[in-house]
Amino acid sequence: MDWYLGLGLFLLTLPAIGLLLGFDRILTARLQNRVGPPLWQPLLDLGKLFGKEGMIMNKGQVVFALMGLLLQAAAMALLCMGGDLIVIFFLSGSGSFMLVLGAFSALSPFSHLGAQRELLQIIAYEPVFFLAIVSVGWYEGTFMVEDLEGNLLGALPLVVLALVPVLMIKMQKSPLDLATAHQELVSGPYVEYSGPYLGLMKLAHWFELAVLLGIISLFYSNEEAVWTVLGRFVLVMALVIAVVVIDNTTARLTRGSVVLTTLVWGLVLVGVNLLILTLFDLGGIS
Amino acid sequence: MTSARWTGRSPWILHFDTGSCNGCDLEVWALLTPRYDVERFGMINKANPKHADILLITGPVSKKAEERLVNLYNQTPDPKLVIACGDCASNGVPFADCYNVCGGVDKVIPVDLYVPGCSCRPEAIMDAVVLGIKMWREMVVKEGKK
Repeated sequence: MDWYLGLGLFLLTLPAIGLLLGFDRILTARLQNRVGPPLWQPLLDLGKLFGKEGMIMNKGQVVFALMGLLLQAAAMALLCMGGDLIVIFFLSGSGSFMLVLGAFSALSPFSHLGAQRELLQIIAYEPVFFLAIVSVGWYEGTFMVEDLEGNLLGALPLVVLALVPVLMIKMQKSPLDLATAHQELVSGPYVEYSGPYLGLMKLAHWFELAVLLGIISLFYSNEEAVWTVLGRFVLVMALVIAVVVIDNTTARLTRGSVVLTTLVWGLVLVGVNLLILTLFDLGGIS
Repeated sequence: MTSARWTGRSPWILHFDTGSCNGCDLEVWALLTPRYDVERFGMINKANPKHADILLITGPVSKKAEERLVNLYNQTPDPKLVIACGDCASNGVPFADCYNVCGGVDKVIPVDLYVPGCSCRPEAIMDAVVLGIKMWREMVVKEGKK
């Protein structure tokens, strides 16, 4: 991929995710018979946070927030430049772990509970996410994003379905929003961050979301560049709309059920998909 | 300041009951319903002082709640606004001279806006919050000039 295209994509990431989250909030409001905020509300929220006074419990919090942001941004940059999927996965994964460390570093019961639940979520979604990436690599024979070609959606449709709970966890949506559970844990791991430091955490979260959505969008490609862009946009929007609708129609699950549901749903779907491909000799490395 | 145009548009709310009869609390919650929907102005109920910008306080401040109210106020990062919702929060009305009550919210922390009514109507609270956003933007401009 050309480097300026990658750079453009990377610069577009944050505004695009901001607008996507704004769309999410409007859709949620409409589903609840409300009008909802303007589309660019998440960007306004972010701007406000950087204008507020910052209060911290200790310096470690800031270090972990910055590290999280750096790791997630690096993962996204690598994805934009057409890098290795495995490296992207581990960079993003260690970025999520920084959130846990930051939450543990503050002496607050809400923060600690949030951190422990974030760890449970990581146990739930990382294996599914990793297997999805491995199945892409197995089918294509490479993990390099720039070398991926062909329509993965046709060969690995169940893998995309398996990623829906992963997207739900990363978007902090019920029934799988254990860590940030509003009305229960206030805002979980984010509870002790305020002002610009909360802004840093939000930026890290946006990049984390962008990495997942970016990897999901790779599942569609067409020979015509226009159709590729359009198809990827439709795929991502369809999944986001599905997640928002599920969020508004379900209640939060308990900790055990979150881990079990995500793992069973994800691993079974990926397994069945790979089994069908192998049994009917439809592709992949043999 | 261009930043003021942007920063005044997402006030996050912390609602705290300092000993109210729950009348005003119900009206505060009514703000989130489809009929009033304050998320139109970017407002979210955050339930966390560290994320909040506007404190909506209901009820006369009881002696027990005094320390907690001060604590919450100190934990809220600047720039912040305090709105006293209802007659009790404004001056402690029926409980004004009670042995277990400090009086209105302004006896404990500085208050920017008072909403009258027993209980205060949601329309009145919305009016106060919209006025509050205006004051808040001015506050942000002042902070920026410092």
